[in-house]
Amino acid sequence: MSYIIMIMCEPRDPASSLDAEMINCALKIADGAHCRITAVMPCNKINPGPIHGADLLAVDGSAFMHYSAEAWTKAALAASQKLSPDLVIIPHTSAGYDYAPRVAAILGASCITSVTGVETSEGKPRFRRAGFHGKIEMAYETGEVPLVITVMPGAFSSGETAADYGSVGFMEHDISLESTSHITVTDTSENNPELENAEVIISAGRGTGKQENLELIRSMAALFPKSSIAGSRVLCDNGWIEYRYQVGLTGKKVSPLLYVACGISGSPQHIAGMKDSGTVVSINRDPGAAIFSHSDICIIEELEKFIPVFIETAAIHNQKK
Amino acid sequence: MRILVCIKQLADAESKPVINRNGTWAEYGEHTAFRINRFDEHAIEEALRIKESYPGTEVDILSVGPGRVEHAVRRGIEMGADSGIHIYLDENAYISPSLKAHLITAFCSSMRYDLIITGVMSEDMMSGQTGPMVAALLGYPSAAGVIKLEIDPVNMMIHVVRELDGSSECSMDLRLPALVTLQSGINRPRYPSLSNVMRAKTAVITEIRSHDKIRPGHYESVIKVLDARPQRAGTVLQGTIKEKAESLWQILHKKSLI
Repeated sequence: MSYIIMIMCEPRDPASSLDAEMINCALKIADGAHCRITAVMPCNKINPGPIHGADLLAVDGSAFMHYSAEAWTKAALAASQKLSPDLVIIPHTSAGYDYAPRVAAILGASCITSVTGVETSEGKPRFRRAGFHGKIEMAYETGEVPLVITVMPGAFSSGETAADYGSVGFMEHDISLESTSHITVTDTSENNPELENAEVIISAGRGTGKQENLELIRSMAALFPKSSIAGSRVLCDNGWIEYRYQVGLTGKKVSPLLYVACGISGSPQHIAGMKDSGTVVSINRDPGAAIFSHSDICIIEELEKFIPVFIETAAIHNQKK
Repeated sequence: MRILVCIKQLADAESKPVINRNGTWAEYGEHTAFRINRFDEHAIEEALRIKESYPGTEVDILSVGPGRVEHAVRRGIEMGADSGIHIYLDENAYISPSLKAHLITAFCSSMRYDLIITGVMSEDMMSGQTGPMVAALLGYPSAAGVIKLEIDPVNMMIHVVRELDGSSECSMDLRLPALVTLQSGINRPRYPSLSNVMRAKTAVITEIRSHDKIRPGHYESVIKVLDARPQRAGTVLQGTIKEKAESLWQILHKKSLI
């Protein structure tokens, strides 16, 4: 089967390893079959160089100075008209999930978001993603129409492919923004060196129950040197913990030696923030919690009951020393 | 101003979905409790806040799904919305967000909503597609993952702040009519007041049954579902709480972590 695959580059930022990940995803989908891969880069007066494994199409216009759903949708549609792709691949970032469904709807294409894996079956590609609160893995197939997918960062390697450099093409697309204006980006960098450098992180989720139980989380963290507490998004939204302690796709990505998830259900958004941790221990009273599929050690207990006992156990061992 | 809030009803997070015999879908048992998607509750709340700030604003609640979703729509009215729309759709298999988006768009085309608000994604499927798709099909600008918004009805604009990856935010103005999808943390959804609960008992919920037939196999489909594959060892500790605590301590001690 021959494919025309169009990749949308992540709006220019230092994380351009995402583009390499998307190319590796495209190569896996094509599975050795013939495919033309073009990476589309909306930009403004940049002279991009060639990339490995794909042709590059720079779509140039003043509207692409700052990201907006309107501009990126228009760029993707213009490039689609030129390339007629069977498949459009977009990184699942705050930009990707903002404009990818728009592109799909206007193209009359299907859309599958947060793809975490691909495989081929009888020559047809299948796409995997999590569903049912992350408890069930789903395998999708494309229908009659073209397909737009967003791919989770980190799902594919960003290692450089052995493939040759592709060509570089330019397309002038000097559109004006009709419905979007006054775009401003603010860096709300809430640095948290304590969390970022921690070797042990004790993380709290909705299962913590009440704000007072955070004391248990803090006490457990105190058992370890170079530790920090952290929280899932829900706790930050509730105001129980500051956003700079949030671990997840829209929070911080951490990779400590030990990550203890307490009362965390394990949504893909949270997993994305801690999956590179060394050892993962999870404490949750729900035996079906998705987090248990991403844990080395599973403790099916209420954290209110378990943590005090663990702290006591650690204290006893400490005395023996 | 007319505002539409699109909501999804879903099963409680702690319910266990059971994979059917063909392994093609997962179903919830008879006694499963259903509720409104958390992100959509924030959407309802935000619409009600706008209604309070701009008297004369009407808020409609819409949901797509089987008979039971009418309860979710009525709950939205109990929170303070004016009326509801239930687009009937059987749901014993995967339904493409593209299909839902077309059904919602078909309804909206005959209305003139100034603002459509929905949650950024559903907690169960987490696709996050339906909102931006409806916007694109209606020709509305959209912003997904909004953490703050301000309406300017005089200039027919909406000022939104979106959350970006890492630690940044992006703000922009969108021309109304527009569609926004909300992140959690934007507000605290209210509890229904007694007077609204009484009013909701007789509030109008329009049921729509579509006669459009979208061919199966036209959009993407789910061909297989499995219990999530363990990505790690997944050793379940056994015994009493004390025994588990001791096991954990030993494991961590052996790894020189404690």
